[in-house]
Amino acid sequence: MFGADPLLRARDTAPLAAERRLTILYDDRPIAATRDDTVTAALLRAGVVATSRSLKYRRPRGPFCLQGDCGTCLVRIDGVPNRRACTTAVREGMRVEPQNRVLSGGPDPTALVDRMFASNLDHHHFMVRPKLVNRVMQEVARNLAGLGTLPDRPAAPARCEEHHPDVVVIGGGRSGRAAASRLRAAGLDVACLERREHDLGTAVAHAHAVFGVYPAEGLVAAMDTAGDGDVLRTYRAAHVLLATGAREVMTPLRNNDLPGVLAARGLAELLARTGDVLACPTVVIGPPSLARPLAATLGADALAPDEVRAILGGGRVEAIATSSGKREAGCVALASPAAPASELARQAGAQVQWNGDGFAVVRDADGRCGAGPWTLWACGEVAGTTAQDAADDGERVAAAIVAAHRQGTIR
Amino acid sequence: MTQRIFVCRCEDVTVAEIDHAIALGLASVEEIKRYTGLGTGPCQGKECTVALVRLLLDRGTIGADAVQPFTARPPAEPVTLAALSSLATKAQAQDEP
Ligand code: FES
Repeated sequence: MFGADPLLRARDTAPLAAERRLTILYDDRPIAATRDDTVTAALLRAGVVATSRSLKYRRPRGPFCLQGDCGTCLVRIDGVPNRRACTTAVREGMRVEPQNRVLSGGPDPTALVDRMFASNLDHHHFMVRPKLVNRVMQEVARNLAGLGTLPDRPAAPARCEEHHPDVVVIGGGRSGRAAASRLRAAGLDVACLERREHDLGTAVAHAHAVFGVYPAEGLVAAMDTAGDGDVLRTYRAAHVLLATGAREVMTPLRNNDLPGVLAARGLAELLARTGDVLACPTVVIGPPSLARPLAATLGADALAPDEVRAILGGGRVEAIATSSGKREAGCVALASPAAPASELARQAGAQVQWNGDGFAVVRDADGRCGAGPWTLWACGEVAGTTAQDAADDGERVAAAIVAAHRQGTIR
Repeated sequence: MTQRIFVCRCEDVTVAEIDHAIALGLASVEEIKRYTGLGTGPCQGKECTVALVRLLLDRGTIGADAVQPFTARPPAEPVTLAALSSLATKAQAQDEP
């Protein structure tokens, strides 16, 4: 399996300049990578698709969303478990290992769980009685169900840094970036927080994953793991702008969890960023209005979800069973209307409303969506705009923030 | 491998398991979350919540007007206990005269 059938390959076949090349280790084997790659991009190019096993049914799993949302690309990096491969940039000599496996190499005996419980596994009723059986079961389940194993060494304490900008922009995508540059142009001190390391070098200063918005404490808290040693950063600001965008929603299909099934949106962005092309037959599955144009850009085929009986494969995607027969595929891209990524907005106390695709932040005409220790704002897809309109919306809300901030300072 | 249809891949919750929960009389987002464990894995509901809502709307157990997601709590991103505790240590140091 290793190194076989890559999912991606570089569009440009000319050899890379030496300073752009580096090597990482996956399961002790060297893999070629390009500077600015994410770990996931390097692995997909090397044909490594499955990197862990699932908690309950012990099924092989790999990356899906490719943008730090789903949590199944977790791997062990340099002795630390549960690092997201899709948002972590490669570094020379980085040691990447799969996790949640019982044996290294060869078939995993726990994979049997999937067959033994071919119908449901309802943990409320499974092996609850007699007591002794329950105790044994609890022990086994506990051992299997953890995520990864303990780090090689205890984590060094993180540094803490406090920041007091005028505005915190959460999200450095289309709308967040547009808003941040408009705010900076108006002379405001802006912290634009983006969790993807590979977006470094744009208007965004560092990779900062906002993990909590605490209105009671008036605090936005983010982890910065990009440099030497972890830094926990806290922000207090007069304005918090939510620009967290939107994300793919899982399409219900048989075997939609197979490694090699990827979110169409994440895949398109990854290809645009790295300049890779798909290296295997790929099918985009989704409503025709979304799937067809996407398939055309990717050089793939499109299918509607109701044409698909099942995605087939052992440890990764091998074929698709359709109503008119079977077709080979090495990669499946699932496309569905994107849903606003509104968790942090809700933590901050903003209201959300079902808009047919997901839960969008409710805001006023200027973009305000709450008050408290700060004025809360939202722009772009998290507030329900389309991806095309996101940047314009970011600028518009930024202009409203500038006006509000000036009033606030004059008063 | 068996052929399952997943709604939540973190906690391995399938459409069949959600239908089983519905058959037991559970209907809302919150009830299904509590019974199946959906949304409680490393993604904290980012991947599955909306997929679940789309499914429940389709099954008719909830209505689109009033539906709300389950409560969003920190951490929304992976953060180590070591990092969180360093914040507490710092606060303590500041409190001491
Ligand atoms: S979080 Fe990395 S692929 Fe989804």
